[in-house]
Amino acid sequence: MTINRLFTFLLFVMCQIISAQSDSITSLKEVFVSDKNLKNYSVSQSVLKLNDSVINKNEALLTDLLNFNSTLYFKEYGRGMLSTVSFRGTTSSQTAVIWNGININSQMNGSTDFNTISGSDYNSISVKAGGGSVIYGSGAVGGTVHLNNDLLFFNRFENNLRLDYGSFNTIGINYKTSISNKKWSAQIGLSKNSSTNDYKYLNRYTWRGEQRWNQNGQYDIITLSANAGYKFDENHILKLYSQTSNTDRNTSLVTESETKSKYVNGFNRNLLEYDGTFGKLKTNFKTAYIFENYQYFADNASKYFTYGKTENLITKLDIDYHLFKSTHINGIADYSRTNGYGTSFGSHVREISSAALLIRQNIGADWKNEFGIRKEFTNNYKSPVLFNIGSSYKFNSWYNLKLNISKNFRIPTYNDLYWDQGGNPDLKPESSYQGEIGNVFTFKNLTWTQNFYYMKITDMLQWVPGSDGIWTPQNQDKVNSYGTETLLGWKKSYGKNIFALNATYAYTVSQDEETKNQIFFVPFHKATGAISYSRNKISAYYQILYNGFVYTRADNNPDEIINDYTISNIGIDYDLKFLDSFKIGFQVLNLLNKDYESLENRPMPGRNFNLYLTLKF
Amino acid sequence: MKFSKLLLIALSISLFVSCSSDDDDSPKGAYANGFFILNEGSTDAGTVSFSSDDFSIFTKDAYKAENGSDVLGNFVQNIFFDGDRAYIIAGGSNVITVVNRYTFKLIAKIDSGLANPRYGVTKDGKAYVTNANTYSYINPETGDTDDYVAVINLATNTVESKIDLNATANRLILEDGKLYITEPNSSTKLLIVNIATKAVETVEIGLRGDSIEEENGTLFILKAPYTGSGEIVKVKISDKSVSRIPFPESLAGTRGMDIEDNKIYYTAGSAVYAMDINATTPSTTAIVNTPATNIYGFAVENNRIYIADAAFNKDSKAYIYNLSGVLQKELTVGVGANGFYFND
Repeated sequence: MTINRLFTFLLFVMCQIISAQSDSITSLKEVFVSDKNLKNYSVSQSVLKLNDSVINKNEALLTDLLNFNSTLYFKEYGRGMLSTVSFRGTTSSQTAVIWNGININSQMNGSTDFNTISGSDYNSISVKAGGGSVIYGSGAVGGTVHLNNDLLFFNRFENNLRLDYGSFNTIGINYKTSISNKKWSAQIGLSKNSSTNDYKYLNRYTWRGEQRWNQNGQYDIITLSANAGYKFDENHILKLYSQTSNTDRNTSLVTESETKSKYVNGFNRNLLEYDGTFGKLKTNFKTAYIFENYQYFADNASKYFTYGKTENLITKLDIDYHLFKSTHINGIADYSRTNGYGTSFGSHVREISSAALLIRQNIGADWKNEFGIRKEFTNNYKSPVLFNIGSSYKFNSWYNLKLNISKNFRIPTYNDLYWDQGGNPDLKPESSYQGEIGNVFTFKNLTWTQNFYYMKITDMLQWVPGSDGIWTPQNQDKVNSYGTETLLGWKKSYGKNIFALNATYAYTVSQDEETKNQIFFVPFHKATGAISYSRNKISAYYQILYNGFVYTRADNNPDEIINDYTISNIGIDYDLKFLDSFKIGFQVLNLLNKDYESLENRPMPGRNFNLYLTLKF
Repeated sequence: MKFSKLLLIALSISLFVSCSSDDDDSPKGAYANGFFILNEGSTDAGTVSFSSDDFSIFTKDAYKAENGSDVLGNFVQNIFFDGDRAYIIAGGSNVITVVNRYTFKLIAKIDSGLANPRYGVTKDGKAYVTNANTYSYINPETGDTDDYVAVINLATNTVESKIDLNATANRLILEDGKLYITEPNSSTKLLIVNIATKAVETVEIGLRGDSIEEENGTLFILKAPYTGSGEIVKVKISDKSVSRIPFPESLAGTRGMDIEDNKIYYTAGSAVYAMDINATTPSTTAIVNTPATNIYGFAVENNRIYIADAAFNKDSKAYIYNLSGVLQKELTVGVGANGFYFND
């Protein structure tokens, strides 16, 4: 079957689906996740949970999942390359990534590269909009992305295997096994996602007239996860989470004659957690060791590289006391010690301790209040007092109003403080005040969330050239962001036909206070949509993403922009009902062969294909 | 063909061109009688801006205007000329783009044999281009000794040989068959390369030697240290004797130097100064205090002072003054403006 015919076949199937007016798959509706504080202290904010059925419909790396299913905006240096996020108009280091309750943004550059994380390594991924520094610390300004592994205690032995093979030699092997009984629970996972990534650049030719293609773009990401829990009894549980990953990635070229370089980075994360309940008192003790490193080879062919490493030890004690019938109070103390060393910032130790007090109160079933305050203590920078106040009130069965005000921050990174030359040891953290109003409407099959927010960020860190020509970071800019987010979820079944629709839209204005210019690489508009249908053994889905134009310059020069683009994916899978489940699926990505890029001179691939098998046994 | 015939043809072509095209008011092309501003770029590729001398014509991205989607490459560092051709060095992409200097149309690219090319000069059908090769912060073993001069055959646009320098190299000038090369970051030496014999000599001048000019048999090298004030090092070509003009504390933050009509012009902080070429102490009276916060490119030519105020997250500014310090023109150019080059 030629591709064109296959295409027609798929379109035909989709027409059937639409005319049958039926169903689906994925529910992106707002639900609570297992992470304790995320569950307990987010009633006044919006949390979008993406479960494994959504994760499975997207490409392996986290950028694609979040790009097509949330309001987050990503800037990618080509497919699979460095990918940085902007949430509510903030910078890449103002979105914190939280792994099982621990902030894992890089100590070196403050941000997370979303193309180094495979979605399938987690049971669920949640996106929480708005400030969260009181609980999650530095970087929880625009919002937080939560990577969660859930340990369940019941008798099971379950294996999940997914194999992908797609265009550009893109290969995915994702395996997860869950073994548990009433006392023990264990999860072991392996993911390997790689690609030669040598896609053609649509409509682009070299000066010699040769077709241009993505050179030196290959990547290989391997992650091993092992999580285990032991339940002494109902009141005492010990959990251990461990994850090791290595991303071996070349960096794609802007021009063919560039020196080919390579960036290898990895991490090792270990978290030991103890939960104990003593009557009205609940304790949660966490201790984590996080190792992170990178090696940059300016020339692939050479043995030389520059590197950076950090080792971070975190201990955290969280005591939850059930004060009255309706009120809980949490006291949290934590201590973090980071030892960082690298070619460009020498060797430095950073110690931070903090204390926080959280109160939550439920007045009846419909009115929930939360309050939090936190202060950090460190020699490295002056730390502001952070707070969070929120309320959620359910007026009736279909309308829930949420209000939240918070102060959040982003601390200077190792690069900011110690970079040789230029690091500035006298920096303050970036800090932000923000307020938001959330409206949640729940009808029979429909959930509609409409958030409005306003955020004021001061002391933004900006690297600027000094009079001596050396670049150095300064606390200089102030940014005001405001906007609205719409999250829609609809699901309905007609007999055996299940039909679902999910959509998000974000309108974001993020202005430099002085110039009134839109912050560059923040789109005013972003929208996503997904329709899915399933009936018995077959399921099909269609995803669409609209990314509005972005300025690429601080002066908002209208000639220097990345054009808006709309891209879509389509997929279908069929369950052969062998073992517990044996699905064979096919996806067409960038269905309409759109020529687009998210960064200048970094073209993304045209139409491409992916074939996959998922087995459950 | 007789000369008169050639002249007739040339005249008729120029008539034809001027009749048929409104844009090209010069017979040679739209980019004659003006100057180029190089913009090195940052995350995106670099560009070249053009302004006519009377400022009536300005093109922010001349290469794109003439050649569409093709790019010059990362870190556009230098442009040099030979005959009708201009050679644009993009150091981060190891490429030199060859264009017609008057039409700015692409002719060829020199894209092998180069490793972090920096600056170039030409003589007798050959170009001599410094190549920084690897850097010592990445390659501590040979990063400071592997720089070379690529010798390019301009007839074939290929690198035909290399002159190993056993040192670091950046800016260069060519004088009487010899290259004089400085490099501010790692080198304490002035390199002298005989292009005929490829022999390399050195003269000790100390760290931070950067801008270099030759006037009446003497080399003038501006030293611009990171902290404190700089100095001008004078090297007499005949006997390689070195003398110095130290700058006082009030001239901290020295960046650019150019020599024009027996005057040495230099910048310190955001101001421009001038001293007589034979003076032994520098002037501390500014000709002009510019609004520039980051003087990244500087030139003095035809009684004008050219200042590039580089910005890396937005368009840069170029300020053009007369020699009395009166602003003639402010131009909005590309990202990371780093130099001015004159196309007569």
